[in-house]
Amino acid sequence: MAGQQYLNSISENATRLGMRLQETLSEHTRDLAIGRGSGAGYLETGALGDEKTPAMIRKQLDSSSDREKLDAMKRLVALISKGRNASEYFAQVVKNVAAPNLEIRKLVYIYLLRYAEHEPDLALLSINTFQKDLADANPLIRAMALRVLSGIKVPMIGSIVVLAIRKCAADPSPYVRKAAALAVPKCFELDAAHLPTLIQIISTILLRDRSPLSLGSVAVAFQAICPTRLDLIHPHYRRLCRILVDLDEWGQVELMELLLRYARTMLVRPQTNLSERGGEEKHGDEEEIEKDLKLLLDSVEPVFQSRNPAVVLAATKVFFYGAPPSYWPKFVGPVMRLNTNSKEVERVVLVDLLIITRDAPHLFAPHYTRFLVRSDDLTVVKKTKIQLLLRLLTVDNWSAILREFIEYADDMDDTVVSEAIHALGTCSAHVPEAIPSCLTALITMIKSRYDTVVSSAVMVLKYLVQTQLSMGSAFAGTLAQSPLSIIAHLARRIDDIRHAQARACVLWLVGQYAGSEEKASTSGPEGIADWAPDVLRKLAQSFGSEDYLVKLQTITLAAKLFVLSPTDRTINLLCQYIFSLARYDKNYDVRDRGRMLSSLLVGVGLQISGPSAEERGGVVLRKEQVKLVLFEGKSGTIVEKDSFLDDGKLQLGSLGRVTGRPMVMNDALPDWLEKGVESSLRDSEDDARVNAPPVPTAISSAGTTHSQKGIATPPIVLTPGVSTPSSIAAKGQWTDLESFYAEEEKEEAEDDDGDEDEDEDESEEEESSAAESAEETESGSEEGQAESDVIHVH
Amino acid sequence: MGIDGLILLDNTGRSIIQSGFRSTSPAYPLLHIEAVNNAVAKATQPGDVDPVVYVSAYSIGDTPSACCHVQCTDVRILCPISGNVDPLFGFAFLQTFIEILREYFGPLSAATLKDNFDVVYQLLEETLDSGGHPLTTSPNALRDIVLPPSLFNKLLSVAGANINATINSGSGLGSGPFSSPIPWRKAGLKYTSNEVYFDMVEELKAIVNRNGVPLSSSVLGKIEANSRLSGTPDCLLSFTNSSVLVDCAFHPCVRLSRWARGKTFSFVPPDGKFILAEYRYSPTGSSSGSANASPLKDNIPIPFVIKSNVELLDHGGSFDITFTSRLNGRSLENIIVEFNLGSGASGIKCIAARGTGGLGRGGVSSMNAGLGGNSGASWAFDSRRRVLKWEINNAPPSSSWNLQGSFSTPSIAPRPSHALQVQFDIQSYTFSSLKVEQLKITGETYKPYKGIRGRAIGNVEWRW
Repeated sequence: MAGQQYLNSISENATRLGMRLQETLSEHTRDLAIGRGSGAGYLETGALGDEKTPAMIRKQLDSSSDREKLDAMKRLVALISKGRNASEYFAQVVKNVAAPNLEIRKLVYIYLLRYAEHEPDLALLSINTFQKDLADANPLIRAMALRVLSGIKVPMIGSIVVLAIRKCAADPSPYVRKAAALAVPKCFELDAAHLPTLIQIISTILLRDRSPLSLGSVAVAFQAICPTRLDLIHPHYRRLCRILVDLDEWGQVELMELLLRYARTMLVRPQTNLSERGGEEKHGDEEEIEKDLKLLLDSVEPVFQSRNPAVVLAATKVFFYGAPPSYWPKFVGPVMRLNTNSKEVERVVLVDLLIITRDAPHLFAPHYTRFLVRSDDLTVVKKTKIQLLLRLLTVDNWSAILREFIEYADDMDDTVVSEAIHALGTCSAHVPEAIPSCLTALITMIKSRYDTVVSSAVMVLKYLVQTQLSMGSAFAGTLAQSPLSIIAHLARRIDDIRHAQARACVLWLVGQYAGSEEKASTSGPEGIADWAPDVLRKLAQSFGSEDYLVKLQTITLAAKLFVLSPTDRTINLLCQYIFSLARYDKNYDVRDRGRMLSSLLVGVGLQISGPSAEERGGVVLRKEQVKLVLFEGKSGTIVEKDSFLDDGKLQLGSLGRVTGRPMVMNDALPDWLEKGVESSLRDSEDDARVNAPPVPTAISSAGTTHSQKGIATPPIVLTPGVSTPSSIAAKGQWTDLESFYAEEEKEEAEDDDGDEDEDEDESEEEESSAAESAEETESGSEEGQAESDVIHVH
Repeated sequence: MGIDGLILLDNTGRSIIQSGFRSTSPAYPLLHIEAVNNAVAKATQPGDVDPVVYVSAYSIGDTPSACCHVQCTDVRILCPISGNVDPLFGFAFLQTFIEILREYFGPLSAATLKDNFDVVYQLLEETLDSGGHPLTTSPNALRDIVLPPSLFNKLLSVAGANINATINSGSGLGSGPFSSPIPWRKAGLKYTSNEVYFDMVEELKAIVNRNGVPLSSSVLGKIEANSRLSGTPDCLLSFTNSSVLVDCAFHPCVRLSRWARGKTFSFVPPDGKFILAEYRYSPTGSSSGSANASPLKDNIPIPFVIKSNVELLDHGGSFDITFTSRLNGRSLENIIVEFNLGSGASGIKCIAARGTGGLGRGGVSSMNAGLGGNSGASWAFDSRRRVLKWEINNAPPSSSWNLQGSFSTPSIAPRPSHALQVQFDIQSYTFSSLKVEQLKITGETYKPYKGIRGRAIGNVEWRW
């Protein structure tokens, strides 16, 4: 009985306890649920309708509870996020800058950085806290304080920031020193008057830093405030080279940029060998490379194995602009690996490949299959790949690449199609053996059902036929089809060619070459190929419904045929008909063209209806003269697509190469010195230390504290563990390459040609200017006229 | 070299989170958002946008700028850059930042980012200096500074405990932020069970022409690792046939000199998930840099054959595609064959069927809806992308599958893509048949559990 009672009381107590527990739990979980959904709540307050009034937020900020404050700060950050102006709370927020809760403090910092500019006076209230934080025991707090202090855009505090930078630059923690270096450019932006002090901090404190953690940021600071003071680098150059591989990825990018600029400004141009440029690379070819340049290249080489695409490209840049061409094969593999990284990276790197292959197509030509277009590539990528494949054309691979271009003509994007078909034309210009297969492909394309394919094919055909005819019959023997038979083919298919520009193009071809058939035709009018008049007849029929481009060419065609065969009655009648149609056309270009050509033809005997014929005065040209005017000077010129990329000024890694437009600040790399600065300037006590066997500098990871890590102590070891001494020696392995190459160099005989590089550049410039002038003359041709007509219209 | 900031957009193109911009004009981020949204809207094929968008100057005196952008599930991340900054730098940072977000929040989505917007802001603040220079991007170091949102943290904060106080006072303990002597590894880690896993994932990328001849093929591998080891272990991973690994790239923890000398991976791993190395598989072991490298010799056989017969008519077309597995002893899994039918394609009628060969019985699926019956194959048409998707869950060795169908287009000449995109998986398999010789862990006394497995995926373009 008693036991029963006892049990009862237990169970009662248990249920009571259970209820208690449940109560508290549900209470807490309610909080929890709010906590979980909180973020979305903050961001979408408008929708949920629980937006707090400004007064409530202020009250929260002033409250003593961390949770209230945190809640209010989250609300403010959410406001910022939604693009609203939250600056009215500045006064209340500043009070929380010394909040002991780190999360609140971080949000306060985010707020401060955005609004300090608008409330400079109130922002000053927070300065004291930051200065106090700079002396905090926790490096995280010190670094954060400096970051916010330098980020507040209040010019008044400039000198305080300089003091803080100077203090932190000598901080025992490399993270704080990193923050100090990054604060330098911001302080300079704030007030340029501090420049001398900042440069002094960089040269005397920051550049002497030995920690790989902070050196990358030092390079940032240097590039930002004194990029021209490369003389400050002299005593540090060799150390910076050696430490490069240990830097974090972002620091490596910056440092390589700096070292490349140093090398180009202070070192001698590496001697290159003429024989190397054109043909196969030979390893270990005799070259004179300064010891310090070699050190740079050897230090950069391991960096190619980074997973970060920006690092690999920066390293490539060092090799491409800093090393003689015999070193270039080293970046081939790494750069191609980038291509597989992601579609965004691929898009950028392909443009770099275009720049590299302008100078060294042979490096990538054997790997052309890795640049084949996939149908799921981005449109930009497809186009760049086509350009790249054109660059990689060689005698061995042209047929495969040609087949690819033909394949791409089936693409779903019109711009890619026309790019591919134009590439066919360029291909046959570079490789004459390709012309027959090109022609066959183009003629098949003319039968295509797609407008773009037909029009592009006709354009390229026109170009091909013209170059063929202007070159004479040198290649005529090798062709299955003579150029004239192609024109004849086109002429017969004029009904199927519907695209206006292509149609105009065919008409022009027909007119231009109607008279050049070797033996006069028997059936048609004398002096004209038998396929020409029928084209004129068809066009006369459809004249009214044609595009104005076609109309213009129809008039020209009529004039040309008439000059060739002035006695033929049918042609005469057709001409008269077309000219009178043109006379009353809606488009004034068509009317002008008609008027001009009809008066030209007066001397040949064209009868034009209307009274004006007799009244017209002026010079009357004879038939031969008219012929000269109409037919001569229209020989084919190579229309190379002149893209922004081809001007040779674009650099690897510049923004302009990707946007395809000139961007401001495309600062060019300085050219080499013919005679470098004294190499002893770069001597420092470090060199002696490197030559000595490495001192074991391992810090066992467990027992170290910050106070032990002064700047005077060796850098934080990135390869800890028991095997540290050996691994440092292993890193030294890379410098051993130096002696390895030095030996090879000695073996080879010396043969150098120093001015070769320059000569090449000059000749390139000449070529490009020649191409430009060629284009200018080209504008005299019919096509050019059509284009200039368009301009008149506008 | 520094980027201007980051902007995270949701799938409607509205900004969720923005980093602070130092630019003088407040319109600067808005201009970039606008430019990218316009470019996305103008794309002819969804997703086919130039990843670098040119943004013209806002007013006279401004310089033009560009905007790098990356789509990641339903979030688009923008990275405006100006001056002479390499867009690649922007993309490299974007990649890193996305990896960090994944590390913190798991699979990325606009909803999770909105939920944790305060953490994202803190992450932005710690990874990107206001001058646009990346600060701390190693996940191990970041986890010390910005606490990942976990249920545990929430419980604590609900309970009123201030977890951040420990950060504040923790400097003396040697376990606070920035205290680890190895930038990529947390100090003072302790696990009750020590484990380390390696996943070798190899992707075959190939283009095959209409005669079934591979035009280009390459196998790119990745060693993904997940380390849960206490203390500071020093690992040494070696392979029996490491000479087939060329064009390698490594996590910063790998000692490059040891690789150069003995082709072994020697490293102190970071904590948690990371990618140890990436490589290209070359049967002949010739790296692309060397002069006698011939890409044709490195061709890897494609594990399947496709026979296709596509007929284009006026206002439509019909197709008959047969997929045959050529793999012995293993089955291809999760096969997805994509066929872009071109703009305006509609009225798709298909029959997906199991052909002869292999084991199991054949079956016919779907007349119109595209749902697979018991045959294990199904098809669906994505009307936005105009892509016909044919899925085969599991293709046993030398089995054969068939898809017949027709489509119609409003224009007289249909213009489908001339290639089929084929994706597949092969479980526990590597193309390179890379074998781990040993994994030695020194520096610590415990015996960890070590797991290694392989996985092969394929991405093949088959032209017809």
